Amino acid sequence: MLVGKKVEKVFDKFKALDEIDIEIQPGTAMALIGPSGAGKSTLIRALSLIDPPTRGEIDIDGVIYRYPSIKGDRPPIPWPRITVVFQQLFLWPHLTLRENIELPISQIGIQDCWDRAKELIELFELKDYLSRLPYQASIGQRQRVAIVRALALRPKYLLLDEVTSALDVEQVSRLVECINRLRNEGSGVVIVTHLLGFARLVADYFMFIDRGQCVEKARITTLDNPVQERVREFVSFV
Amino acid sequence: MNTFEIFWKYRQAFISGLLVSLELAVWVWIIGLVIGTILGIIAARLRKSIGRIVSVSGAVVTAIPALVLLFWLHYPLQAALQVVINPFYTAVAALAIVNVFGVAVIVKASVIDFPSQYLIAAKVCGLSNRVTVMKIVVPLIVRQMLPGLLLLEVTMLQATLFASLISVDEIFRVAQRINAIVYRPIQIYSALAFLFICVCLPMNALAHWLGAKFSILTSDQ
Repeated sequence: MLVGKKVEKVFDKFKALDEIDIEIQPGTAMALIGPSGAGKSTLIRALSLIDPPTRGEIDIDGVIYRYPSIKGDRPPIPWPRITVVFQQLFLWPHLTLRENIELPISQIGIQDCWDRAKELIELFELKDYLSRLPYQASIGQRQRVAIVRALALRPKYLLLDEVTSALDVEQVSRLVECINRLRNEGSGVVIVTHLLGFARLVADYFMFIDRGQCVEKARITTLDNPVQERVREFVSFV
Repeated sequence: MNTFEIFWKYRQAFISGLLVSLELAVWVWIIGLVIGTILGIIAARLRKSIGRIVSVSGAVVTAIPALVLLFWLHYPLQAALQVVINPFYTAVAALAIVNVFGVAVIVKASVIDFPSQYLIAAKVCGLSNRVTVMKIVVPLIVRQMLPGLLLLEVTMLQATLFASLISVDEIFRVAQRINAIVYRPIQIYSALAFLFICVCLPMNALAHWLGAKFSILTSDQ
């Protein structure tokens, strides 16, 4: 289970996350929704330990990472057991799209990951573009490569930060298929999205964040009739 | 005699002078690149201590004309230490000092400015530190530094002309000697310019091409 307890993130004097509690069970997906600048991406970065919380606790399948950390405390590296696809994609610019996908797999060296990568490349129709460098590919192609790179690693927890922005309807439905498959295999998924329709398709739960605080956390079906006024107001605009 | 006739008549002298200049430049390049790279990396890692020293020293050294540095090392320093050093090695030392700091400043800036997003991507993909350094950091930093380093080394090659001040038989001194015989300064220095254009122009062009290529690579990221 991936658990964040009283997760707090402070930048200078600005509190970007304020004591957020979050829990992602293996085999489930949670959608993080909320207005821009609410702290959704900050929470993703904190949960993945890329930008650890200022205070609080992250528990990844029983391995606990406490913050502020104690000097000399060296907990095990959590990646790629937990991995992230960032909104900005972060593809390595000097490597071809194929190399971007293959480099992490070659490090793990599991045959299953190679097979998965091959399958995903077919699924996301990337075969014809793999020899291109990232700057030679469209944003949609780059986004698909970043998704394939993460999915091929068969992560136990996959965190997706606004990854549907440059995908067409067909690609989004393929992504939904992949996320559902990953869930069925027992992985936990966290998705930051502004597309409530997409959230309804893939997520079991949602968490609405505003100004760094959790406003509402419930089953995704509740999104049709949220309890909190702020969430109702937000949903009515989308 | 026109430029070509002078060049042809004294070709052996020109070529031997050019070889001395290139030998001097190669020494300066190797010392500068090796020590400068190490110093630059240390300066980037220890930004507040060694980093500051390198920045200040680099600014001071590059502000001193190479000619003055050469003069200091050849006359007052050797007189003070009561030693006599072959002018070629004195020139190597003086120009290498300038090159070391020039390279260190470029390397330090490239390491510090390395985009953290590529390291984050490497982390979340589970790459080890060794693979991250070898496959991501070094190739990208080299691509980023190469244009600046090439331009610096072209400047260092041109600075070898100053070695004539302390009697190193490099190409400029050879040209001066030939001029003393035939007194055709325009033709002789044009021949000298031609030789430098042959060596420096491709290096400058390569630096600009690499610079443009690297900026395209990272333009859309």
